Parts: sequence; C-alpha cells; structure tokens
Amino acid sequence: MKAACIMQKEIRESILTPKGSLWYILTSMILSVLSYLFLTNSELSLLDQGQMLYMIMNFITALGVLMGLVFGADAFAGEIERGTLEALFLSPVTKVEIATGKLGAALANWGILFAISLPYLFVVGKGGQNLFVGIAYLAFLGTFLAITSSAFSMGLSSRIKSVKNSLIISFFIFLLAGSPIFLSAAQRGTWFGRIIDFINPFAGAINTFDSVVIDSQGFGYQAGRVATIFGYTLLSLWFLKRSVSRLEM
Amino acid sequence: MKRPILFLSMIFLAITANYATASAAHRITASIDPPIIQANMGDKITYVGTITNNSDEPVNNIIAYVSLANVTQGRESPMDLEDWSANKAIKVDTIPPHGTYKGQWPMRLIDSGSYVAYITVVDKNDNTPISSAMSRLEIKRVLRLNPNNVLPIAIGEPMIIGMILSLIAIRRRKRIK
Amino acid sequence: MIINVKNLVKKYDGYTALDGLNFTVEHGDIFGFLGPNGAGKTTTIRIMTAIIQADSGNVLIDGHSILGEPLAVKKIINALPESNGYYEWMTAHEYLELFSHLYKEKTSKQEVYKLLEIVGLYGKENHFIRTYSRGMKQRLGIARALINRPKLLFLDEPTNGLDPKGRRDIHDLLIDLNRNHDTTIFLSTHLLDDVERLCNRIAIINYGKIVRMGELDRMKGKGTIEDIFFLSTKEGTL
Repeated sequence: MKAACIMQKEIRESILTPKGSLWYILTSMILSVLSYLFLTNSELSLLDQGQMLYMIMNFITALGVLMGLVFGADAFAGEIERGTLEALFLSPVTKVEIATGKLGAALANWGILFAISLPYLFVVGKGGQNLFVGIAYLAFLGTFLAITSSAFSMGLSSRIKSVKNSLIISFFIFLLAGSPIFLSAAQRGTWFGRIIDFINPFAGAINTFDSVVIDSQGFGYQAGRVATIFGYTLLSLWFLKRSVSRLEM
Repeated sequence: MKRPILFLSMIFLAITANYATASAAHRITASIDPPIIQANMGDKITYVGTITNNSDEPVNNIIAYVSLANVTQGRESPMDLEDWSANKAIKVDTIPPHGTYKGQWPMRLIDSGSYVAYITVVDKNDNTPISSAMSRLEIKRVLRLNPNNVLPIAIGEPMIIGMILSLIAIRRRKRIK
Repeated sequence: MIINVKNLVKKYDGYTALDGLNFTVEHGDIFGFLGPNGAGKTTTIRIMTAIIQADSGNVLIDGHSILGEPLAVKKIINALPESNGYYEWMTAHEYLELFSHLYKEKTSKQEVYKLLEIVGLYGKENHFIRTYSRGMKQRLGIARALINRPKLLFLDEPTNGLDPKGRRDIHDLLIDLNRNHDTTIFLSTHLLDDVERLCNRIAIINYGKIVRMGELDRMKGKGTIEDIFFLSTKEGTL
C-alpha cells in the first residue's frame, strides 16, 4: 500500500535523522528530571501518588500535542521548501494517500513517545491509585489528541506552504490549548472558565485525567469530554483532507 | 453602722472576685498529647487534644484548633497548616459539667525542623482563649536519593534510548559509505 | 500522437500564464519546448504531469485525459522537474526503492541496480545523497524518472549547472533512451545547444501561447536555432 510506503519513509526519517531521534532523547531526559524531582523534592514528593501521576500524564499529553504540531508543520511545507514534494506528486499516489502516510507516521511517533513514557508512569505512580486506568486513558485520549494536533498542523502546512509560518501558528494554538493551566481553580469554576474547559480538547483531557486518577470516577462521567475530543479529531481529519485536496505546487 | 456594712461589703466583694477569678481560670482547660514527638519528614502523626469543662454548667459551641510554630533557630515563624492538616478546627457542640472532650488532629509532616504544637480553645463567653501546654515536635529531614527506585529509570532510560539510536545509525553506516 | 494539448488556460492572481495553448507531440519525438523566462514552460509541464490543474482546456497523454484519469497518466509518464529535491539522508538505493514501491508492488534489487548503471551511478548506490555532486543528483533524478519505464519523459532543464562532460553524458543517455528504449522525451530548456543536438521537433512558447512549432531542421532552413528563437520571442511577436 502506497500510504504505508510513505509512512515507512517518514518513520525511518524520524529514527535515522535528528528530526525525530533528538526529540525522543530529549523527551526521555525531561521525563527523567521531572520524575526525579517529583519523587525527591521536599515539597512535591509529599504530594499524593495520584497527584504526581496526574501531573506527569498532563506533561506527556502536552509533549504529544506539541510533537504533533511541530512534525505536522513540516509535513507539506517542509517538502515544498526542500523541493521533494514534486517528485511525490509525480508518482501515482493521491494527495490523500500521502497525507494518510504522514499521519500514520505522526501516530507512530506518538506511540514511541508513549512507550518511552511508560517506565516513568510506572515509577511515579507505583503504589498509588488508578495507575493502570490512568495509563489506559492516557493512551486513549493521547492518541486522539495526537491525531488532532498532527492533522490540523498538516492541513495548515499544506495551505500556508511555509514551515516557519506554520510553526508560529501551531505554537500559538498550543499556547491557547494549554491556557487552562494558567487559570486558577476558582476561575475555571466560573461560567467563562467552564466554556473554555468545554471547547478546549486539551483541557478536556486534563480534566478527564483528574477525574479518573484523583477522583476515581468512571467512564460515564467522562463521556461528554471524550465525545468533544473525538469531535475535534474528526474535524481536524476533515480539515486535513480538504486542505491537501486543494494543494498545488 | 457604717463600719459593719463596709466591712461586710468588702468581704462579699472579695469572695465574688475570688469566685470570678476561679471561674475564668478553670472553667475550661485544654491539654495536648503526646508532649513530645520525634518523627521523619513525610510521617503521619495525630495529636489528641483533651478539653475539660471544670464548671458546674455545660459549655456550648466552643471551637478548638491546633497551631504550629517553627522554633528552629533562624527560621522562627508561625506555620500555615494548609498542606499539613485537613481538619485544623473543630467545633464542639457541648461539654457537660465536669466532662471532657477528646479531639483528634491528624497531621502529615511536610518539612523538617523544630516545632511546637498546642491546642487553643475559644469560648465566646470568656474574655481570653485557653491554650494547652506546648508539645515539642522534632522532624528529621530524610534524604531520599532513590525513592520508588526512580534512579535506574531516570538515568538508564535516556542512556538506553541513546544507545539504541546510535546502534541503528552505526549499523546503517556500516552498509553505507 | 502521445501528447495532445487543447486550449489550455491557466491564470495566477489575474496574471495569465497560459492563454489557450495548443500543440501535439508524436510518439518517438525528442520534443524541445523553448521560451523565455516566464513564458509558461514549467506551468505547461506541471499541467501535463497532473501536478496542477488548468483553469480550462485538456491534455490527452497517450489517449488518457489528465482531468479524468490522472493516475493512469502518471503510470505511463515521469518527469525530472527543474528544482528537484532529494531526501538527503537516504542513499541512492533507498531513494529509488521508495519510488519503485510507489509505482509497483515489488521491485527487485537487480532492477534498481540496472537503473543506476544506466545513469552511471553503479557503485555509488550506498552513498548518502547528501554526498553527491550536482551532476550525480541530476543522474539520480533521471534514474528516478525512469523507474517506471515511462513511455513519456518530461525533463525541465536537465543539464542545468552541469559541466560539459556532464551535459554530454546526459545527452547520450537521452538519445539512448529515445532510440533503444522507445521513450518519447519532452525537453524544456534554455540551452539551444541541447536543443540542436537532441531534438527533432520543437515548439516555442511566449506569453502563454505557441508562437512557432515544427520540425527543427525545416524551421532552421539556412539560419540558426538562435535566429528562430530570437525572432519568435521578440517583443510584440505572437
């Protein structure tokens, strides 16, 4: 399958070039520092195990979203700037197949990031509550968010055709998505805070992790937020398909 | 006639003043147990505060709370118990005459140092709050170099990832010029 | 005929790049496509290779319409664009394997090696592309363009930046492809020497229209190809 060929090429590029490999090493180093700080710091180490697990899950999700945005920004605009997209367009591969292959690679990158994170999750969450449930939700929602951020960023990349500009916009989107963390608990309880929480898929994921890991609430309680996140995933896939279909050199 | 009235009045005043003083001093007393605790950072302890009603009448709606002060040399300060204890204040509905109430204050020891803890009781019918004696609390800092066995992961994983990626690159370069 | 271009129109932001282009190319031609900068050469090639869409008009490639059957067209053509980039982290062998998989399910290593031999890169297949000279990259681009044994090969400035030996090697390769492998070649270039040496038929485009077309020898007559080119593309000439 041609999309699989493209996907394989992208994954190889991630592993064999600094584009991806540096990301994996840096992620591992950051998680090492974070987990060690959590567990040894005189204040933070006395946080509840569930609290620590929740905080590190948020961080991993944020990393996954950021990686999706950065890789997505390069997907089409980078190939145009390096002059390699035309050769792909000359091949009997449709634009949607190219996009599918690149999206598959983005998903594989998230999978590698998640695998790297697993030992840290186990060591931070050991002995605490809801560890396995938390990891399952991270896998589930993290995947949806990775698809959303990658697809959206790729669509943007194909429209803007400039890596620099795609990255700038993607970075601002990331800040916007992460803005809930700047609001206090009281602010998030206001009508405005609740609206932000409702429409923001990243906030939806954070709140779900809180609800599952710290408050031990079941899936029924999360259904609304999960549905919102899934909705965003479908929207971003539609945006990507529409954007690449119109892409011309 | 004046002299006996004055004398009797003075005796009456002395008796009532004495009685009032005795009431203010002994109507409620508080104590804290244990008197001394030595523990490590992260440990959980529980203070037991005993509130005694020394009067012949019941006392109602009193509030009792635990306070903590850092008395470590150079770091003397009152402590905010936000992270230490979830239930700092207790409201007691009623203590019968000559009865006692025992309250519990569980605490998680967040930081190391020398502290004193005491129970304070507030009765709105009194002018002054009543405090217990101070309980000495010594918390030792625990050096946790490898909590939850995190070091092998924290040091090992980046190294392993780096090694795997290097091996892949080296193997590829052997085939390639 | 292998190419039939009918009334092609393409506009960019109010600027008309192609203004009702019409021409044909026969099987077995080495067809030269000439014109000054901005005449519409690259736009024409991109439309014929189904990379971009025309605003109106159609192109038939070996009977297949690029509008209705773009994938069928792509299977029988290939191209070396003017600004061809490469995946520099790959080796030549990996690069050709990638594209061979995009064209067919299975390609043998022997087929890839044979291609590299045809373009003169045999023995350098396991070198990183980033270590290749410009000429070697051009050859690799031609190898990629031959991966599906195309009936029709589009080349946009294939000898750009090459030294005389490099240019001669490319010329010989193209002549060999045309004569011994029955490949029709559509060559867009500024280099009139290349046209003179390679092409049997040419078309000259200016301001998005064909201004001159026909057999090269007949068009030259007693003059030179430069005469034809400059006369045809003189300001005001259409």
